[in-house]
Amino acid sequence: MSVLVYIIKRILNAIPILFIVSLISFFIIRLSPIDPLSELKLNPAISPQTLEAEKIRLGLDLPLYKQYLRWGGNFLKGDLGVSTSGELVADRLKERIPNTLLLTGITIILTWLVGIPLGIYAALNWRKPADRIITVFTSIGMAVPSFFYALLLLVLAVKTGWFPIGGLTSFNFSQMNLFHKIFDIIHHLFLPVLVLFTLSLAGLQRQMRGNLLDVLESDYIKLARAKGLSENKVIYKHAVRNAINPMVTLIGFEFAGLLSGAALTEYVFQYPGLGRLVLEAVMKSDINLVMASLMIGSIMLVIGNLIADILLKIVDPRVTME
Amino acid sequence: MTKKVIYILLILGFFVFAATSCLHKDIPEVEINSNLTQNFVQEHISHAKGKYELIEINGIEYFRSRGNTGKYGGTLSNSTIGEGPKTFNIWNSKDNTSSSLAGIMFEGMFTSDPHTGEVIPKLAKKVEIDSTGKKYTITLRKGLKWSDGKEITADDVEFTYNTIIKQGYGDTSTRDVMTVDGQMPECVKLDKYTIRFTTPKPFAPFLRMLGFAIAPKHIMKSVTDKGKEEFNRFWGVTTNPKEIVTNGAFKLKEYVPAQRVIFERNPNYSMVDSKNNVLPYLDKYVVYIVGDLNNQVLKFEAGELDILPVRGNQVARFKSLEKNSDYKMYNLGAGDGTTFVSFNLNRRQNEKGKYYVNPIKQKWFNDDNFRKAVDYAIDRDFIVANILNGVGMPLYTAEGLSSIFLNENLAKGHPKDINFARKLLEESGFYTDEKGILHDKEGNIVEFTLMTNAGNIERESIGVMIKEDLAELGMKVNFKPIEFNVLVGKLTGSLDWDAIIMGLTGSSLEPNNGANVWYSYGSLHMFNLRQGKDATNKVDLRIWEKKLDELFAKGATILDFSERKKIYDEYQQIVYDNRPFIYLYTPLNIYAVRTKFKNLDPTSLGGVLHNLEEIYIE
Repeated sequence: MSVLVYIIKRILNAIPILFIVSLISFFIIRLSPIDPLSELKLNPAISPQTLEAEKIRLGLDLPLYKQYLRWGGNFLKGDLGVSTSGELVADRLKERIPNTLLLTGITIILTWLVGIPLGIYAALNWRKPADRIITVFTSIGMAVPSFFYALLLLVLAVKTGWFPIGGLTSFNFSQMNLFHKIFDIIHHLFLPVLVLFTLSLAGLQRQMRGNLLDVLESDYIKLARAKGLSENKVIYKHAVRNAINPMVTLIGFEFAGLLSGAALTEYVFQYPGLGRLVLEAVMKSDINLVMASLMIGSIMLVIGNLIADILLKIVDPRVTME
Repeated sequence: MTKKVIYILLILGFFVFAATSCLHKDIPEVEINSNLTQNFVQEHISHAKGKYELIEINGIEYFRSRGNTGKYGGTLSNSTIGEGPKTFNIWNSKDNTSSSLAGIMFEGMFTSDPHTGEVIPKLAKKVEIDSTGKKYTITLRKGLKWSDGKEITADDVEFTYNTIIKQGYGDTSTRDVMTVDGQMPECVKLDKYTIRFTTPKPFAPFLRMLGFAIAPKHIMKSVTDKGKEEFNRFWGVTTNPKEIVTNGAFKLKEYVPAQRVIFERNPNYSMVDSKNNVLPYLDKYVVYIVGDLNNQVLKFEAGELDILPVRGNQVARFKSLEKNSDYKMYNLGAGDGTTFVSFNLNRRQNEKGKYYVNPIKQKWFNDDNFRKAVDYAIDRDFIVANILNGVGMPLYTAEGLSSIFLNENLAKGHPKDINFARKLLEESGFYTDEKGILHDKEGNIVEFTLMTNAGNIERESIGVMIKEDLAELGMKVNFKPIEFNVLVGKLTGSLDWDAIIMGLTGSSLEPNNGANVWYSYGSLHMFNLRQGKDATNKVDLRIWEKKLDELFAKGATILDFSERKKIYDEYQQIVYDNRPFIYLYTPLNIYAVRTKFKNLDPTSLGGVLHNLEEIYIE
């Protein structure tokens, strides 16, 4: 029961947050001197009448607060509006969201499957060569800028021909059988996933290693060892379980980053995801599209945190939900 | 201690390994030659081939292609930069990408000859223009079919014009350019294959405009009946490709958002080869949607693309690799875009009584000698050699170098002549003080702001060069790149600017498309834009602005090419003499195409793929 009340409370808390986020983003975009019609204005073939009609269609003739109210009203009704080029924003997002989820989803699963054990392993082999080597590689992983790293891998792909240059599927994808399709997607996903994986692996592995080292120092671990518990029990039942708490909070942020975290990498690899779409939309001041993606980002963050808190409660009974 | 040393060595080793593997002979050393274009990229010369030969097979009037007989099969991969198409409904496309992609699928009654620019029949077989120059009687080819097998008739033409274009469905720019003095031409169907257009008065660009894509009435009628909203959604990017009925060489097979558009051959296309095989030869034509130039180049190098527009800074490298590669480079000559410097010649006040341009600066900018001096101080050859890596031409005329209306006498222009420029300034009473700073007659220091859109590296570098060129005259130029949108706001709204570097896309075939720039009341008459009451109140019209108004009004009504050319020659002369725009350069279009493709016939006006239907793979 208390969990349900807690969830409802959190959702109610989120409403003003979302409202403020929407307000700030809307006015920042609108007050910036970017004019969605500037390209049309410099096109000799466009008549003033057409320009006027476009202005009315996009609601640019209304005062700013009315534009916001109009957008807000539609948003509450679940209508994300149309982009400047006239398509439904919801359709455009629908095209891209699954692709981005595929990329980030695989990355997150991989990093957690590898990062956590690697962190534990490094902590248990503290200051031994294995730990050092892992540390060196994760340092490199943290230090290399993702943009640069992605470009390097692209050059590798061009020179060797081992990997396709960007995209998600080959042009004859629709004629392939299921097995080939899966292989084709993995072939395309390999490099972008590798970039994101290396980068987030570093952080995760170090976090886990640090947490576990902290816990291993604590008195109750010494007590457990002194009591003569088997080393496996000490580590996996007592130490890891306590060290994992902060990681659970990280899950919340990872969840928020599911849709927006890969934008740069997506751009370099020409991945048909949300990042490329939103970047272009910002450049063109396509307000409905930008607002929709910002709101989705904020909602994901709120939900992510909520999920993390609930998970924390499950993992650690000491946490209360008051 | 030894351990530490080992670790350090290990780390160093890793970096060296990583670094060397990246450096591995990436780019061969190439000497950049400023005479690049003259030296090795030879102008592709191909000869005009005239009209197509009409041939009747089984009651269908085909056009016969003029290339070699090829064979069926294969794929050609091209690319487009940006976000991809917004719609496949060509009558509703408002952006270049959508129009050019949909343009592969739809043809009109006429097209422009890729060699001469002359208007030649496409779906039509002939046109008769009566002696008044107002009645166009057009006969369509018989028996042509849509990709779904229905016949293409005068009904489709009549429907496309009278319903879609005239009533303003979708994108209205076709309607806008066809309107003469507020009136649209009339269109009546005479019989199944004949149709007549009547313009309110003789209108020279009209014949070329009749190249608008024809829509299938049997599909679209039910859509237009439901209203404009429905029409705007029709054939959007989420449409099932099978539903799109086309009359071009290709039809849509698949669209994968942000990745590619795949076209497949339309078996009902209206052309045959010398052995009466129906074209096109290619099975598929794929257009990859790439995000930026770098990715495009990478995809070409990795073999995923068959054709690549090569940018100036890449030409030397691609050329040096050409011999040992599977591509050939083609120089299509100058493009139709123009880049220029312009001064704000506006002498009026805004509603609050404030001058748009500071009155002191107004005097300079409106001084013919001042603009001429600037013109003579700019070193165009230097710009072409350094910023375009030699892959461009200096430009002096308002019509681009590829235009069929180019005034050849002006095209050569003049070299930089700083002494002549100084003399011109002296004539107008400007003088330089002992520090070399230029003052006007009244002793004001000559200082103004030059703007361009930030992010355009080419224009930004040119701005710096011009600033230095003008510093030789003692002018102080504050060069300021600003956001494109802000710049457009200044050019079309607040009008508070001194000088700009801008570009406009031109048309090699139809100078009247630029009328908006030259008419004194035009919406792009940037150097002296009139808004509100100024647009009708023409008190301070310059003599040459008045003359341009007359020339453009007259030029649109004369149908004979050589008569028309005289008029547009004169307009270029006026622009050249008065320099509202000081033209700078035009880039060359250079393409790399895989050698396995045959029947390629790149032309300056038509590009590389104008005869896509007869291109085949050996």
